[in-house]
This record gives sequence, structure tokens and C-alpha cells, in this order.
Amino acid sequence: MAPVIEARALTKMYGDTIAVDHVTLSVEKGALFGLLGPNGSGKTTMIKVLTGQTRQSAGSATVLGIDVEHDPIGVREHVGIIPEQETPPSFLTATEYLDFVGAIRKIPDVQKKADGWFDLLEFDDQRDVLCKDLSRGTRQKLMFTQAFLHRPSLALIDEPLINFDPIMQRKVKDFLIGYVKEGNTIFISTHILDIAEEICSEFAILNRGTLLFTGTVAELKARDQHLDDFFLSLVRADRHV
Amino acid sequence: MFELFTNMMREEWRVHSTLFGSLSFALYPVMIFVIAFMGSFVLPFFAAGIPPGYPSIIIHAIFLLLGIMVGGFGLMGREVMNRRFGQASLLAYSARSLPITERHIFVVFVIKDTVYYLILCVLPFVFGFTVASPFLHIPLALPLLLFLTLTLAFLTGLALIFFLSTVYARSKHVFILLCICGILAGTTLYLSHSLTPVSLFPPLQLFYLFSWETLLVACAVILIPSVIAAMLFTTEFADTTRKYKPLFTSLARRLSFFPYPPLATKDLLDLERSGSFVGQVLFSFLIPLCLLWFLLSILTRILPAVSILLVFSILTGVIAAMMYTWLTMLDTFNTYSCLPISVPTLLSGKISSFTALQLIPAIFIAIVSIAAGGLAYLVPALVICLSVSFYTLGVTCWLTGLSPNVLIYDAKVLVSWFVLVVIALFAIIVLIVINPFYTLASSALFLPAWGFVKLSYAKWNTREQPGF
Ligand SMILES: Nc1ncnc2c1ncn2[C@@H]1O[C@H](COP(=O)(O)OP(=O)(O)OP(=O)(O)O)[C@@H](O)[C@H]1O
Ligand SMILES: [Mg+2]
Repeated sequence: MAPVIEARALTKMYGDTIAVDHVTLSVEKGALFGLLGPNGSGKTTMIKVLTGQTRQSAGSATVLGIDVEHDPIGVREHVGIIPEQETPPSFLTATEYLDFVGAIRKIPDVQKKADGWFDLLEFDDQRDVLCKDLSRGTRQKLMFTQAFLHRPSLALIDEPLINFDPIMQRKVKDFLIGYVKEGNTIFISTHILDIAEEICSEFAILNRGTLLFTGTVAELKARDQHLDDFFLSLVRADRHV
Repeated sequence: MFELFTNMMREEWRVHSTLFGSLSFALYPVMIFVIAFMGSFVLPFFAAGIPPGYPSIIIHAIFLLLGIMVGGFGLMGREVMNRRFGQASLLAYSARSLPITERHIFVVFVIKDTVYYLILCVLPFVFGFTVASPFLHIPLALPLLLFLTLTLAFLTGLALIFFLSTVYARSKHVFILLCICGILAGTTLYLSHSLTPVSLFPPLQLFYLFSWETLLVACAVILIPSVIAAMLFTTEFADTTRKYKPLFTSLARRLSFFPYPPLATKDLLDLERSGSFVGQVLFSFLIPLCLLWFLLSILTRILPAVSILLVFSILTGVIAAMMYTWLTMLDTFNTYSCLPISVPTLLSGKISSFTALQLIPAIFIAIVSIAAGGLAYLVPALVICLSVSFYTLGVTCWLTGLSPNVLIYDAKVLVSWFVLVVIALFAIIVLIVINPFYTLASSALFLPAWGFVKLSYAKWNTREQPGF
């Protein structure tokens, strides 16, 4: 079966800066894939290219079998995305924003679906507040809801837990693990290694735009190695090259 | 205070120069210089047909208008403090964490913007005229005086609107009261004929006859409203969490005749709830146009009333095209980047919302035509206004895509915009002179307008969208 995400020598330049440098990578259906790397290593850029939010400079990628360069809208139609900077439209309320997303994505019964999320993420009392006036964490909850409203078979999430309190983190982790068990795929980027080690099945390490390693968490555990030690040794070694 | 000011200036420069590259941005004032320089040579041709004094009135009026167009600081309120360039965290915003008051930051912000416009527009314009003046046998003292009076004219417009918009933001009732007083005073003066407009406008008076007293009055006219406005400025409203009953779905159903109802609904709610709709209609449309009408009516002595009405329709069209910026200002592309929606779809969504907004200039121009007794010319006036507006919109879309407020500062963009718009306006003016009814032909502008929109879809679809 074809991989859900397949990148071949994917490269993205911003002027002279190489944000992503010839990354070749594939993610299979049912994986909870973690893209790890220090600040500025190209994680966000990678997600942006894979979701057609920005065009690659070289190489190619398919997501759910769709070429991201030729049909970025097609990709975005099928996947769920939570961007790094959560920016729901400012002058709609939380409910209205979900109605808006529902209208764009042509989702029937949006509000019924949204209700479940308001309950799960505990922000029902905020539903009529303007997005502008929501707290960061609540905005992140809203972005979570937005991404899963159409139950995508693949979701790409940039730093999923960064604005959540510990209780919410637990809930979201459980949700993600459960979602993958249903046969969906999740691609997250993070530099919080504990989270990756806890929930991810596979991971890749990116440093200065290049892929240093791909493997499974199970492999690492079999070798009795901790992800953070492994990560630090790899990144440090790369720094000295 | 000064340090904050220099940092804000530096930041403004960086925001713009990184967006277009320093060179293209630095060329912006150069372009205005060139336009003024070339324009100076055209002046004698006009001067032949126009009584002396009129060119100076027109130039001062232009700078007064420029000030009026940029002076709506009071409307920004917390938007100033929040984000003017999307997520780009601005000093004005981050300075909140410093031990200074918001009023202080706001004042610095206003001064910065004023100085910025002065350097970017007023200074290069006067400089262009100065350099041209020896060729035109104009004494050098004149441009120097002009520099002073144009700056004052610009600042007068800015201070006036700064004041009015702050009053508006504080209390609508007081604002309406002020407007009624203003209109009454204006009509009385206009009917009594005892005063010429010149004597009401200190900068122009100063231009005709320099005296220290007049200079003092001119400065007072600028400083007093500005200081009051700065004192009235409040960020109190920034502390409320606004709640609304969900309106989106029902509104979208009612707007289902739009090509993209969800986008139109969002535009409408954004405009309404940001409080910018009524404010913009007042300060970026009605007030400048009323003033313009007043200024144009001075020209009745040299131009037939019909021509004035039709020229006014052209200008209304250009100003109406600016409504496109009202729609794009409140949005950042980031909002849509995670949704399956393409840039051409977004553009056409904005264009259809824009089309709906054109009801405002249409009604306005109809009222003006009837009030001016030019009922016979109602149709040409409407046709001119709307075709100019849509043509200008097409040009704007093509050149600046979804970020007109920012990209217009690119020198290349500005010049292209200017040239494309002026060509069309010039053609219509020629038609007006030949026969007012020939201007019906201006409806042909819808064709290039449509072409530019199509081009803009192709152009912006492949470009990376900046995150503001
Ligand atoms: N829009 C842009 N313009 C120019 N350079 C950019 C842009 N976006 C990212 N970069 C550069 O690309 C590189 C990778 O950035 P990216 O945001 O992908 O890193 P990241 O791994 O997500 O970092 P973080 O963990 O801090 O979120 C950085 O060097 C950054 O400066
Ligand atoms: Mg990132």
C-alpha cells in the first residue's frame, strides 16, 4: 500500500537560507509520526510544504496520493492542519468560526460535531466569544476542533500541546492515540521529546534542514535508549561536522 | 520617548524594506519626486486656462486630502496596539510590556506615522517642485514657502481627522453634534459670501501672504485638535471580552446570492464588528468627498457645472475603489492557509464583497447629482463613478493582490498603479470636455477591469502569500 506521506529530496529555500534540505521520508497509514528537531531546524517549513501552504524549491511530495505542488487545494481538502501560529479569524466567535470552516469544507451538521469538541476540550463557555478575545490555549483548542471537524484520515499538527495545561495535554494525547487506532494517520512536529517518546510510533530527527535519522520508538526502547539522549547525541554530533 | 520613536521608525522601515527589498522601497519617495518634477512642467499649460491662484488651491487641497485620508488614528484604537501587520509583532504592541503608558505609545505611534508620511510623500513632492522651479522661472523662495504651507495643509487635514475620529470613537453623540455644528457653520459662511474659502484655511492664507500671526494660527489649528485628541484617546474598551450570539449560518443563508456566501458573511461580520464600517464610510469616504465637493465648487467660476459634477464622479470612483482596502485590512492570509481555499477564490470573494459595497458610492453620487441639479447627468455620473471604481479595483488587485495596504509602498507598484489609473482618468476627462454624454463610453473600462482581475488570479495563485 502506498505511504500516506511521501517526500522525495524535498527542498525549500528562503532566499539563501535552506530551511529544508533534500528530505526523503515516508509515513505509513496508521502511524503517529513525530518530526523532531531543534528550533529553526525546518519542522514548520516541512509541514507547510506538505500541506501546500508554500511551494517547495526542489524535490516532490505526495500526500494521500496527491501531488502537493500540483494540487495543494486537493491536499488541504482531505487533511486536517493545525498551524504553528493559531490564527482563527478575529471577528468571528468560536462557534461562528467553526460554522465558517464547515461551510468552506462543506461539512453537514457542523454544530452537532462541534458540540462534542466543546465538551471534550472543555471550552463550551467560550463558544460565543470573539476569537480575538480568546486566550491562547482556547484558540489552540479551537484550531484542534477545526482540524478534526471533517474527521480527516491524515492530520498534520505543528506543536500540538504547547499551549495546553497538563490536564488538557493528557486528553489530547489520548485522543491522538485513539484516533490513530481507528486507522488514521497523524504527523506532528515538536521539540518536546517526552511527548514524542510517549505517544509517537515513529519519528524523524531534523537538524538544520537535513534529516539525521528516521526510526521507530520501539527500536529505541529495544536498545534501552532514551529519546532525549539519542536526540542530543545526534544533534551535537551534527553540529561538529 | 525619543528612543521609542526612533525604534518605531526603524521598525517601520524594516517592515517595508524587507518586504520589497530596500531598493524598491527607497525608490518610493524618488518616484513621488519624479512625479512632482514632471508635473511641474505640465502646470504652465493648465495655468493658461485657469485664473491665477487656482493651481495653488488645488495643490493645497490635495495635501489637505492626503492628511485627511491618513489621519483616522482615533478609529484604530486597540488595533494600533494589536497588530497592523498580521502576526508581525510590532514595537507598538510589544512596548506594552515596558513601563510606559498606552497613551504614550499611541502618541509616539501617531507622531511616527506623521513623520513617515511627511518623509515619504510631502517632502519628495515639494523637492520635485523645487528642482523644477528654476526651469519654470519660479523664484526659489516660492518652493520653500510651499514646503511650509503644504506641510501645514497636510497636518491640518491629519489633525482634523485625528480629532474627529477620536471623538467618534469616544462618543457618537458628541460626534454627530460636532458634525451638525460644522455643517451649519459651513453653510452659513458659504451663503453669506463674506468669507472666501482661502481665509478659512490658514496654510493657504500663509501661502498668499506670509505673516507670523498667520503661521501661529495655522500651527494652533493643528496643535489644539491633536492635543485634545491625544488626551481623549482611550484603550479602555480593550479590556472587554466581546460575546455575540451566533449569526454566521443565518447570515450566510441570507447572503446565498453571493458566489461564496461564507466569505461574504465573514467580510460583513468583520467590517461590522471591528467597528470600522461606519467609521470608514465616514472618514475614508464621506468626509473627504464632501470636502472635495466643496473645493471643486470653488471652480464653478471657471468650469461648467456639468464638468464639475462629472470630474467629481471620477474622484468618487477612485476613492470608492479604496473600499477594497477596508476588506483586506482586517484579514491575514494565515487565516485561510489551513483551509482548502485558493487565492483566486479569496480574491473573487473580496471582489464580490467590494461589489456590494459599491452601493454606497452609487447612492452617494446619485444624491449629489440630484442635489447639484444635474438630474440629466445622473446616468453618466453613475457610469463614470462605477467604471472608474471597478477599473481601479482591477488594477489594485493585479498589482497588490490581497495586501494592498502594504504592497502599495513598493515603488514599482506605486508607479504602475499611478500610470494605469491616470491614463483612464485622463481619457474620461477628455470625453467630458468633448461632450458630457460621451462619458457613457467609460463603461468600456469594465473590460480592462475584468482583464486585470483575471490576470490577478493567475499572478497571485502562484505567489507565496505573505503572512499579514
Ligand atoms: N517565511 C520565511 N522567510 C524566511 N525564512 C524563513 C521563513 N520561515 C522559516 N524561515 C527560516 O527557515 C528555517 C526553518 O524554520 P522553521 O520555522 O521551519 O523551523 P522550526 O523547526 O519550525 O523551528 P521552531 O522549533 O522554532 O518552530 C529557519 O532558519 C527560519 O529562519
Ligand atoms: Mg516551528
